[in-house]
Amino acid sequence: MSHDHLGRRAMLTLGTSAVFGSLVARWLAPTVAFAAEAPKARAQACILLWLNGGPSQIDTFDPKPGRATGGPFKAIKARAPGMMLSEHLPHLADRGDKLAVVRSMSSKEGNHVRAQYFVHTGYAPNPTLVHPSLGGWTSARLGDAQAELPAFVSIGGPSFGAGFLGVQNGPFVLPKAGAPPLDVALPLGVDRARFDRRRAALDAMEDRFAKETGEPKVEGRRQVYAKAVRLMQAPKLDAFDVTSETEATKKAYGDSDFGRGCLVARRLVERGVKFVEVVLDGWDTHQNDFERTEKLMGQLDPAFAALLDDLGARKLGGSTLVACMGEFGRTPKINGNDGRDHWPGAWSAVLSGGGIRGGQVHGATDDDGSHVAGPATSVPDLMATMASLMGLDPAHSEMTPVGRPISVTDGGAPVRALIG
Amino acid sequence: MTLMRAPAIAIVLALAACDRGAPPPALPPPVAAVFPPPAPVRPALMSSADVDARLRAEWQKAGVTPTPPAGDGTWLRRVWLDVAGTIPPPEVARRFLADTSADKRARMIDELLASPLWADHWTAYWDDTWMGRDARAPIVDRGAFRAWLHDVLTRNVPWNEVVTKLVTASGLNSEGGPKKDAYANDGKGGAPAGVNGAVNWTLKYVQNPQDMAGTASRTLLGVQIQCAQCHDHKTEKWKQSDFQSFAAAFVRTRLVPLDQGQGMTDVKRVEVRDLDHPAPRFSKMGDLDALMKAKPTALDGTDLTTSPDGVRAALARWITGRENPWFARALVNRMWGHFTGRGFVDPVDDLRPGNPPAAPELLDALAADFVAGGYDVKHLVKVIAGSEVYGLSAAPLAEATAKADPEVKLWERFRVAPLGPEELLNALVSATKLDAIVRATGRMDLAQIRYRVKQRYGFLFDVDEESDAGDYEGTISQALALLDGGVTAAGASVLPGSALADIMATPGDDAAKIESLYLRVLSRLPGNDEVERWTAYVADAPSVAPAAPVTRKGKKGGKGQQPDPLRRLEERSAVEQGSARVHAYEDVLWALLNSSEFVLNH
Repeated sequence: MSHDHLGRRAMLTLGTSAVFGSLVARWLAPTVAFAAEAPKARAQACILLWLNGGPSQIDTFDPKPGRATGGPFKAIKARAPGMMLSEHLPHLADRGDKLAVVRSMSSKEGNHVRAQYFVHTGYAPNPTLVHPSLGGWTSARLGDAQAELPAFVSIGGPSFGAGFLGVQNGPFVLPKAGAPPLDVALPLGVDRARFDRRRAALDAMEDRFAKETGEPKVEGRRQVYAKAVRLMQAPKLDAFDVTSETEATKKAYGDSDFGRGCLVARRLVERGVKFVEVVLDGWDTHQNDFERTEKLMGQLDPAFAALLDDLGARKLGGSTLVACMGEFGRTPKINGNDGRDHWPGAWSAVLSGGGIRGGQVHGATDDDGSHVAGPATSVPDLMATMASLMGLDPAHSEMTPVGRPISVTDGGAPVRALIG
Repeated sequence: MTLMRAPAIAIVLALAACDRGAPPPALPPPVAAVFPPPAPVRPALMSSADVDARLRAEWQKAGVTPTPPAGDGTWLRRVWLDVAGTIPPPEVARRFLADTSADKRARMIDELLASPLWADHWTAYWDDTWMGRDARAPIVDRGAFRAWLHDVLTRNVPWNEVVTKLVTASGLNSEGGPKKDAYANDGKGGAPAGVNGAVNWTLKYVQNPQDMAGTASRTLLGVQIQCAQCHDHKTEKWKQSDFQSFAAAFVRTRLVPLDQGQGMTDVKRVEVRDLDHPAPRFSKMGDLDALMKAKPTALDGTDLTTSPDGVRAALARWITGRENPWFARALVNRMWGHFTGRGFVDPVDDLRPGNPPAAPELLDALAADFVAGGYDVKHLVKVIAGSEVYGLSAAPLAEATAKADPEVKLWERFRVAPLGPEELLNALVSATKLDAIVRATGRMDLAQIRYRVKQRYGFLFDVDEESDAGDYEGTISQALALLDGGVTAAGASVLPGSALADIMATPGDDAAKIESLYLRVLSRLPGNDEVERWTAYVADAPSVAPAAPVTRKGKKGGKGQQPDPLRRLEERSAVEQGSARVHAYEDVLWALLNSSEFVLNH
């Protein structure tokens, strides 16, 4: 296909020929240009707390007590001027000085699949091109290919891949926090010595096939296998095992998969992982919104708060961007099943650490929480803010395989007020 | 003026059509001035030899030398994977390799086209292309959709009729029942009476008709109109209003729910019917206003509202019409891309003047032949699979050729690509007899295992089969699944029923056993060097230390929770302790299953 699609391996193989000289230059160009233009990164890592299904903004971060559509929850004062949160987020309210609550998010995407894609990639879905998620960009541009652990890990959900940046930059998925990743242990009944013998035998096969075909994909596969084996034997694999944490720490995060996921996320970031997504599913509350949202906040609140405390105590707060959001908000109107339906028109996202100026509410909604009352924040703007803090310049474009320039978000610009 | 924008070859063809006294192709309005309709040829259909002749001319013109032909084993494996979605059984490989007749490849293609595997494989292919990996809305019955596909593919319904049925589908989506079962259903069981599974495609887009229009345009016509969803196309002629008018043809369906208030775990039964105005359900979605108001119009400006049988019927007639410049080319290009690894136009679904085809005359000839032959997909496959170019090896190219055509745009070397998830799973089952292993355990069934593997690993092996990537793009998780996962662990064991157990029980020396393994896994005979290497490996196997008893480390399994079948498979594999010799053979099979030669189509 296109030149852009040829990777490093092919370049090394073919790079000596004069014809390929220009291709090499073209392939290297974006990276070099990028390094020169890149803004100074404030955050070394990002943890995305993903509230799958779309949480009700009114029941969580944008309470409207006293309004007909406000629901049964009280609002409590958080430790920041003008910041009121749901009564079921007491731990986060206590840490309001660390949070930037963006109440003026809005988009047009009210369908789960489309909106999840949009909020992960900064682009509305379009079958011409699979856009990379922010985690994918992070892995491709900021990840260390030689690291023991993958640069992008998703806990409890598949997240979104790296699109045209290649599957190798997609998330390494941990289906459930607290358990080791799938298949990193040797097969039952196979010890290390036998595994090594097997691999040596496999190597001989690969040599023969590579020689016969001259196919660069064989070497590419070999490198992926080497990484997989390195992961199987990595000392840093202990990141996935939380048993060594103190009871107090485990208790602070809460006895839930999401809480353990946040704890694993902290352990991964400590070990150099660049982007971790932790999924808390169940926010699609068309029925029994209040009961279900309260229960979910009971998991979110302690875990998010403990994560902030823990990062702070380890001097990682300043260099770790924590973001919390779902794909859209929910209607102010309460439906006949005590539920709220999809509402992309006005919703909230929360940011903390990694260069974010905490202790502020950014933007507002009208009295009912139906519409943004300014200043509006688009999904690309929010993502551009996150990307620029990570050192990914939102103004920089790269060529896709079909020769279309693509930047990290669809025309977003960093929101200066959010940056400290 | 419009012709000036068309590629030179299109002009030549259009003129040639005039010369022959055929009626000149209707000049499409400016918006569609991409290609003229494929000029119909006389009834004499194309053969593989015609393809060979045209490509040889292209090679000569470009100064490239193709690689030598692939060996019989390699070709056999390739054609099985591409036509039937799996690897050949060892007895087929043995018979084929021993066969000395000149027409054995042609006969093998016929055999595969007549086999039920044809429909099995292409059901999975089109299901994936049209429904994607995530169509799980409560009203979508994946199983019913696959059953519909399986039926039309089994009967080799002409392609224009298949597409017409898809686009105009009306009727009941499902007979109900658990969503889980529908998702795991591969469609081989046939469609239940009264159900038209094709409607599930329409139902997938119940909230986003704009995506349905984009997918239809892309997969049926190879036209990327959806770029214009958000803005006028920057380099091509599409305007945002073109997209909206086209998409307006996709909002005219009414849904009649039959199962209100059913449980969350069941597929909800819905009837799809035509509607003579835009469905009100879309008007609730703000950003669809322009689309709802637009007049349904085809991409070449044809008004779709004037037919008495409705907009969808008019749409289908326009899409599949002989005059449509894209329809036949899109399918031909897609199939060529599937078999050779790269379409005439690449990517396969991006036909536009700014992205000209390689070997355009061959594309046009095949497209015209496809139309003249009555849209017979099996005939097209027969022509492609029987061609010289499909039988080339993946050996390195000569330096001069690599210089003349560095991107191998003329297919002068066979493109190596990873197997797709479905093909890999099929190949693993075939190579190991995993189905028999599972049967022998008595407590699991293969459908359950397959479902589990797809659920857990499907996205892990989600290679982009339509991309012609130069590099191997794989993930750590994929590698781990093959290195350590339950399927390879159980598959490469001597569990009762397994391929390895059979081979170990069959009399014969090490060389014979290694040969059997190679035929089964790689569809070829081992080289002498390989027999020697593996024989030494088996002879040198260290004695087996008494293994620690295997304990169930998997999840205990809470209330009503079934134990993970993959974990159980792995546990089963470790129960058989085996001798040093058995362990060594397990290692051989494990290495074959993990090899690039197995995991790549080459």
